[in-house]
Amino acid sequence: MEDQYGRPLEGPKVGWDIPKATVRAWALLRRAAFFTNYVVAFLLILTLNFVLPRLMPGDPFQAIYGQEALLAMTPQLKAQLIERLSLDQSMGQQFVAYILALVQGDLGYSYYYNQQVLTVILDFLPWTLLLMGTALVLSTLAGLVLGIESGYRRGRSLDKALLASLMFLNGFPDFFMGIVLLLFFGVVFGVVPLSGALTPYSGLEGLALVRDILHHLLAPLAALVLVRVTSPYLLTRNTMITTLRENFVMTARSKGCTEGQIKYRHAGRNSLLPVVTSTGLMVPQMITGALFVEIVFTYPGVGWLLYNSLLTRDYPLIQGILLMVTLAVLLANLLVDLLYLKIDPRVSDAR
Amino acid sequence: MLNIQDLKVSYDGALILAGVDLDLLRGDSLAIIGESGAGKTTLGLALMGLGEGRVSGRVLLDGKDLTTLDEVARRRIRGKEMAMVFQNVEDALNPIMTVSDQIKEAIDVHRERGDPGYVGDRVRRLFRAVGLDEAKGRSFPHQLSGGEKQRALIAMALANDPQVLILDEPTASLDAVTKAEITRLLRERMENKIALVITHDISTAARLTDKMAVLYAGRIVELGDTQDLLGSPRHPYTRGLIRSSPNMTTPKDLQGIPGRMIHGVSGCPFSDRCTQRIEICSEAVPPLVEAGGRLIACHRGGIVPLLELSRVVTRFGGLAAVDGVDLTLYEGETIALVGESGSGKTTLAKTVIGLFDLAEGEMRLEGEPLVRRDRDFYRKVQMIYQNPKESISHRMTVLDAVTEPLLIQKVGGAAERIEIAKRVLEEVELSTDEAFLKRYPHQISGGEAQRVAIARALVLNPKLLIADEPTSALDPSVQAKILKLLLDIQEKRGLAILFITHDIALARKVSDRLAVMLKGKIVEEGSAGGVTTAPIHPYTMRLLEVAPDLDPKGRGMSGPWAVPEGPTIRAREF
Ligand SMILES: Nc1ncnc2c1ncn2[C@@H]1O[C@H](COP(=O)(O)OP(=O)(O)OP(=O)(O)O)[C@@H](O)[C@H]1O
Ligand code: SF4
Repeated sequence: MEDQYGRPLEGPKVGWDIPKATVRAWALLRRAAFFTNYVVAFLLILTLNFVLPRLMPGDPFQAIYGQEALLAMTPQLKAQLIERLSLDQSMGQQFVAYILALVQGDLGYSYYYNQQVLTVILDFLPWTLLLMGTALVLSTLAGLVLGIESGYRRGRSLDKALLASLMFLNGFPDFFMGIVLLLFFGVVFGVVPLSGALTPYSGLEGLALVRDILHHLLAPLAALVLVRVTSPYLLTRNTMITTLRENFVMTARSKGCTEGQIKYRHAGRNSLLPVVTSTGLMVPQMITGALFVEIVFTYPGVGWLLYNSLLTRDYPLIQGILLMVTLAVLLANLLVDLLYLKIDPRVSDAR
Repeated sequence: MLNIQDLKVSYDGALILAGVDLDLLRGDSLAIIGESGAGKTTLGLALMGLGEGRVSGRVLLDGKDLTTLDEVARRRIRGKEMAMVFQNVEDALNPIMTVSDQIKEAIDVHRERGDPGYVGDRVRRLFRAVGLDEAKGRSFPHQLSGGEKQRALIAMALANDPQVLILDEPTASLDAVTKAEITRLLRERMENKIALVITHDISTAARLTDKMAVLYAGRIVELGDTQDLLGSPRHPYTRGLIRSSPNMTTPKDLQGIPGRMIHGVSGCPFSDRCTQRIEICSEAVPPLVEAGGRLIACHRGGIVPLLELSRVVTRFGGLAAVDGVDLTLYEGETIALVGESGSGKTTLAKTVIGLFDLAEGEMRLEGEPLVRRDRDFYRKVQMIYQNPKESISHRMTVLDAVTEPLLIQKVGGAAERIEIAKRVLEEVELSTDEAFLKRYPHQISGGEAQRVAIARALVLNPKLLIADEPTSALDPSVQAKILKLLLDIQEKRGLAILFITHDIALARKVSDRLAVMLKGKIVEEGSAGGVTTAPIHPYTMRLLEVAPDLDPKGRGMSGPWAVPEGPTIRAREF
């Protein structure tokens, strides 16, 4: 095959017979490559967490545990810890020891809490997950619905009002929004508790306990959602406006679909993809947001724990938290990617 | 029954659909043809109630006015009683829903109560009806070919067996073979429905529909039976549209329509491009009126007959060289008069121009009987001959030859005449520099001389040009150029040409209609395509057999450019 100038063409475009087995092998390879990305990133994080404290000048033990901890430590404890981390041995052996410890769930020992770092984190984690998870879900859902409705009514009063007010809210940092909410609803009106995740020593159970937890959750959650809802909202609204111009929306209309079906099933679902991605990308922001909001509301989550451990220079705890956080971000990305495959069949075919 | 009454649509104050009336019954299939931007899609959308512009007028479906219904009631009708397939097959399907889900949805939205068995069954039957493999139903649109997508879209439109089916460019992006399949499918599925086919593709329209409406700048300018309308267009725009669309039926070269369509022209929408407009055309909108089984919106009743000959006889002594010829030549059209020498072609031409006397019969020019050949006549009718020397005296320079008719007709002053002459010379692609203008006929080539003759004939802007073998003395490449030139001028000015030639192969390339002359009579007349592909008279067949043919096994028995073998054709033999 040659083109009009006599140059050889790469090969016939049609009727190219690729054996089925080859296709499948390719698909497997691509899938493998897809997961390899994550495995590599994961290993990188582990290594960094291992290498960074050991690269610091001076005694690695000091770098890992901090000045104050060293002073307060008994020599026996110190010896025990050095042995556990194999700090007296070669780097390679240290790494093996480090990985082994991680596999056993050993992130180190928090001198301040006098407990395993993992245990400490796990104690605080549920509250963060509750706060962040609900905030993520709520702000995405609210952003989607508001964005779809707003985009569908582009240029009309509801759209204009929503656009203006959400843009306004988006201007505040989370902690500021937290402080405002705390001041008004906590201090002035007294409708929400000022701190904590539940009423201590109340002995509540069942539904009452759930209600108490939600009551405490309300204000920090509102602070996060109010600030974070704008980005999914804007994204949905913009995508919606473009999607509504697509031909298939016209087809749906001509079928006699109801407004709701056009809005949600056709235009809405097709506007979902970028929003799902952005939800994943929101996780890191959400983490920092949650951190500050937890501090404002003295909400006993990982954010507050990090803040506290910074104050007490509880280095093992800080490192453990950072490791967990980076892993969380990585995991969020993986989930977004997997979800993407599910939502858009075109992507899975391209892979 | 669908009645559309004075339907108008305007976008931001610009009237895009300027009052359309249509009455359609079940079983009718109507093509809406017209160039891009004519408002075809706008019409379809307005009928569906999906347009964005402001709509006025009435759309009656079985007597119920749809334009007054609220959105909820309209929605119930959409896809149920009236369905539309949009152009752009590529993105007309929802990319993230399977095809069968999308078809199911079309049924579901109009169903009162659930009976899943029914839906599944219906979907299966729809797949069969549009010739789509059921397994394809589980596919997503991006996994289907263009043809399959189109089938899916058609299935969707047919889902509720609607009374009205609107197809917008149903075959636009498909390859020729798929196009033929889809056309066949649509033809079957359109039966017993009111079908509106919106397209600029005339051949698709011809295959799909029985009736055809030509839309120009938001108005219907001609409406009639599809075959009839395509075979003999009567509105100048329709003729232009057909001439500019490539097809296998018309052998004549493609010709365009001068100018560009604009909406909101006062009077007749086509008046700024029409070559036969009169004063009233730009003042009043011509109504769409019935004329000879056709609806035409034209103040002049469509393309006007320029030259009408009835039972024309010319005698030399006792011999009738022209023996009862009937022929009508319309504005802007070419009729080729074909026949061997001695058949009376030139005699007929010279009778028209007044060189021979009319013995019997009648000749009319623009409706007026032709008795005197005064100055006025020569303004309107001009003739060019095989030999340019017959038109140009050897004592005249190029400039003299071209300005002389102006001088005779007392047009303008000397400077103005030179100006006009130069413009015409440019039009026939001749040089206008002083040296050339001062040359005598023997100083220029044959091709140039013939162009000068053409320029001389055209300088008065005649309506009719009689061309007697104008190119037979020239070599083929010059001949081709000169013929193209004539067609271009025809396109621009609406010039009617009576083209006399013995070469039927040439005739079919330049003429709209062909008249075959034998022994002073016209033995066969018809569209150039019809006469050359399905000749009726044996003499026409003979002419075709000996016509030059590049393929030795083709229609012509002779090899390329070879001298025809066998008995020479003599008129007397028939
Ligand atoms: N939504 C709109 N807003 C403003 N002008 C529009 C709109 N839709 C169409 N028009 C204008 O209306 C005119 C007719 O458009 P329409 O789509 O009906 O043409 P058409 O005959 O279907 O042409 P085509 O075959 O290219 O689709 C065009 O000049 C176009 O620019
Ligand atoms: S003759 Fe007049 S009315 Fe008829 S098409 Fe031409 S411009 Fe329009």
